[in-house]
Amino acid sequence: MLIRRKTRPLAYILHEAPAGTVLTTEVLRSLIAEAAAGKIVEEAIGEELATSPVASAKPSVTAAICTRARTKELARCIGSLLPLQESHGFEILVVDNAPPNQETSALLQKFPTVRYVEEPRPGLDFARNRALAEAGGEWIAFLDDDIVADRWWFDALEDALRENPDAAAITGLVLPLELSTTAQIVFEKRGGFQRGFDPRRYGSVLPGNPVHPCGAGIFGTGSNMAFRRDTLRQLGGFDEALDTGAPLPGGGDLDMFFRIIRAGNILVYEPRFLVFHEHRRDEAALQRQYYTWGLGLMAYVDKHRRADIAYRDRFRRLIRWWFHDQFDRLRSSLRGRHPLPARMVLAEILGGIVGLLGEYGRSRRRIERIRKEFS
Amino acid sequence: MSTFQPWDVRQVDLSVPNGGLTAAPDTGGIHVQLHWKSIPLGQLWLALNELPLTASDFLRRAARAIAPAVGDRLFEHGFRAALPVVGENPARDKPAELGPLLECCQPLAVIERALGQIPVPKTSVSVIVCTRGRPDPLRNCLAALARLDPAADEILVVDNSAEGSARRITDQFPGVMYVSEPQPGLSRARNAGLRQATGTLIAWTDDDVVPHPFWLGAIRRTFADETISAMTGLVLPLALNTAAQVRFERNFGGFNRGYRRLTYDRQFFSEMAGRGVPVWDIGAGANMAFRSSVFAQIGTFDERLGAGAAGCSEDSELWYRMLAKGLTIRYEPLAAVWHGHRAEDDAYGAQMEEYMRGHVAALLVQFEKHRHSGNLRRLLLALPRHYLRRMTLRGGDVDRSTLGREMRGCLRGVCHYLRNRPLRRTSPASAFSP
Repeated sequence: MLIRRKTRPLAYILHEAPAGTVLTTEVLRSLIAEAAAGKIVEEAIGEELATSPVASAKPSVTAAICTRARTKELARCIGSLLPLQESHGFEILVVDNAPPNQETSALLQKFPTVRYVEEPRPGLDFARNRALAEAGGEWIAFLDDDIVADRWWFDALEDALRENPDAAAITGLVLPLELSTTAQIVFEKRGGFQRGFDPRRYGSVLPGNPVHPCGAGIFGTGSNMAFRRDTLRQLGGFDEALDTGAPLPGGGDLDMFFRIIRAGNILVYEPRFLVFHEHRRDEAALQRQYYTWGLGLMAYVDKHRRADIAYRDRFRRLIRWWFHDQFDRLRSSLRGRHPLPARMVLAEILGGIVGLLGEYGRSRRRIERIRKEFS
Repeated sequence: MSTFQPWDVRQVDLSVPNGGLTAAPDTGGIHVQLHWKSIPLGQLWLALNELPLTASDFLRRAARAIAPAVGDRLFEHGFRAALPVVGENPARDKPAELGPLLECCQPLAVIERALGQIPVPKTSVSVIVCTRGRPDPLRNCLAALARLDPAADEILVVDNSAEGSARRITDQFPGVMYVSEPQPGLSRARNAGLRQATGTLIAWTDDDVVPHPFWLGAIRRTFADETISAMTGLVLPLALNTAAQVRFERNFGGFNRGYRRLTYDRQFFSEMAGRGVPVWDIGAGANMAFRSSVFAQIGTFDERLGAGAAGCSEDSELWYRMLAKGLTIRYEPLAAVWHGHRAEDDAYGAQMEEYMRGHVAALLVQFEKHRHSGNLRRLLLALPRHYLRRMTLRGGDVDRSTLGREMRGCLRGVCHYLRNRPLRRTSPASAFSP
């Protein structure tokens, strides 16, 4: 259950009940009041205090979807963006990554307002960098193909940019599109992609967090993130050695969030900037995802702890904290006190270990070969 | 360690459009006290590295900070503050109801209007300021008292110095009554003022305090509730110019008891009697008021306690007596004052020592008067356990710097009580004539 007040998401309620249960209005009302009372008051105060927004030039935006052979999901994603495009007018760009067949390009024939480019080199960050090179907008919003954008997704981006004219990146809330399988429910109970319902501005300091900004997971997630195009280009784009698909499918978003803040920029998390994500449906895929989370995080950490001498201590602390946290989780999972089964936790830990053991270096050599192959 | 930078204390009235916050050069940060007109609602501690703050970010943080207090003023349920009790539901609150929440619109204007409609009764109030050799703060205090709206019916300055140095200041303020109590001890001074005071309500503040202009309005309104026998109010820092002041307010929590009302009653007392009732949480002598009829019932301040004697706790010991008798005390943050915390860097440790000395002496006095074993349990079990834990706990978060002085304070408190045991007790109620 997603609780909203006007267009703002306030809380997300996971309420377990046996099949056939009817939630009476009364139960529903008390559930909502319990979950969102404070936020409702906060929102009402915010509205009362809000000054009329200063009209400012709206930046042009490109929504970039990187995809590979998932036409069903892609069509759904584009379908959610088209009405927004109609009312707001922005560029939608689909980057087809190393397509094994013509299905995606054939699908795109049906969407004349969507631009299509092909990126032959396999790897998500090759595709993202291609989008960066092709994008016409001053801002570029990256979306995964397995998401559905919320009705106010674009309004939220514009509002966030008006409120934070100095921001270089906007990240948003990612909620589940469906909770049909056990794997999806387990994933969401463990926190899913949620980063909370409080908007936040992240700069170079975060009080109370000694490893900031190295623990880049708090900033957002790659399935819904937007950047100032010129900042991305100045930073040299995404690291193509991360997010390569197997064997290292992850870490590119974290790496970019970290580099954005490390370069002195502002990153804004705005929960109204909302998409719905189709979580992995089966448990094997979910387990693989946890493995790649551990792997991607530690590959990113490994890259920077070698390169960024000034922050080496923070990365060390982050590694210690992460393993400590994971083993705590493992312990409580073994005692049945954690929604996540122990083998999922183990998969994440294993991913973390592999990530620290030189996966990033191996990945760099692999993509060097890919670059040569396609040059 | 980096050198200390003073913090900027800033009053922000949220009814006035705000353009965001920028720190002045050479400050450690901004302590923002958030108000809506004359209603204090919350605060923010903004470290220098979080600043500047854009207008929208500031408003968002302010909204988050004041939401509990706003909810408390607007709704029946769901936002009550927790009492310092050990229990399932320390706020004694029911869950919030959705209906009223959804109707919530322009909440601050609604609160302002609702408060504006409550009449301020014309009950007579005597304000007593006890002072000892602090002419400059006293002058500021009396100047602020002169600006109160509604005004006090009488103001008494009790000079607790042998040389009578406060008379010169008092004479500059027409209508302020000067009372001399050359025998040292804050309790004696408080009682001396009380003997001269004629008001139906008696409010105390300290010489290092600047009260909010509406202070007495909030006090008179609170006592319109017949069940309330005494009250305390919000104490905010006047300045955070030195490390000692910042530490006292930020680490120790200052005298601030939050922005939501609290009611201490018989139930609170009985729930906590076995562990030692945390009367020290009720408030501070710098901002408290009583019905004058209470003193005939329970006696006056115990002269073994308080600054100049045990160190402090003369106020909380009186509250203990009141609660034990079944009387009700209200904490009402609308009655706000600003307190000048001690500035000297060494003062923090000395203050902690005084506090513990007074606290321990008060526990013994309370046990002597009521024979409630909870006081001894706190003295002999809870406090030793607390200090043992602080001594042995690892980690950088534990503040150990004043540990020795605090423990010495505890021992001195015991000695103080033992030395003064045979001394005359508080003037019995029958001997007290207002």
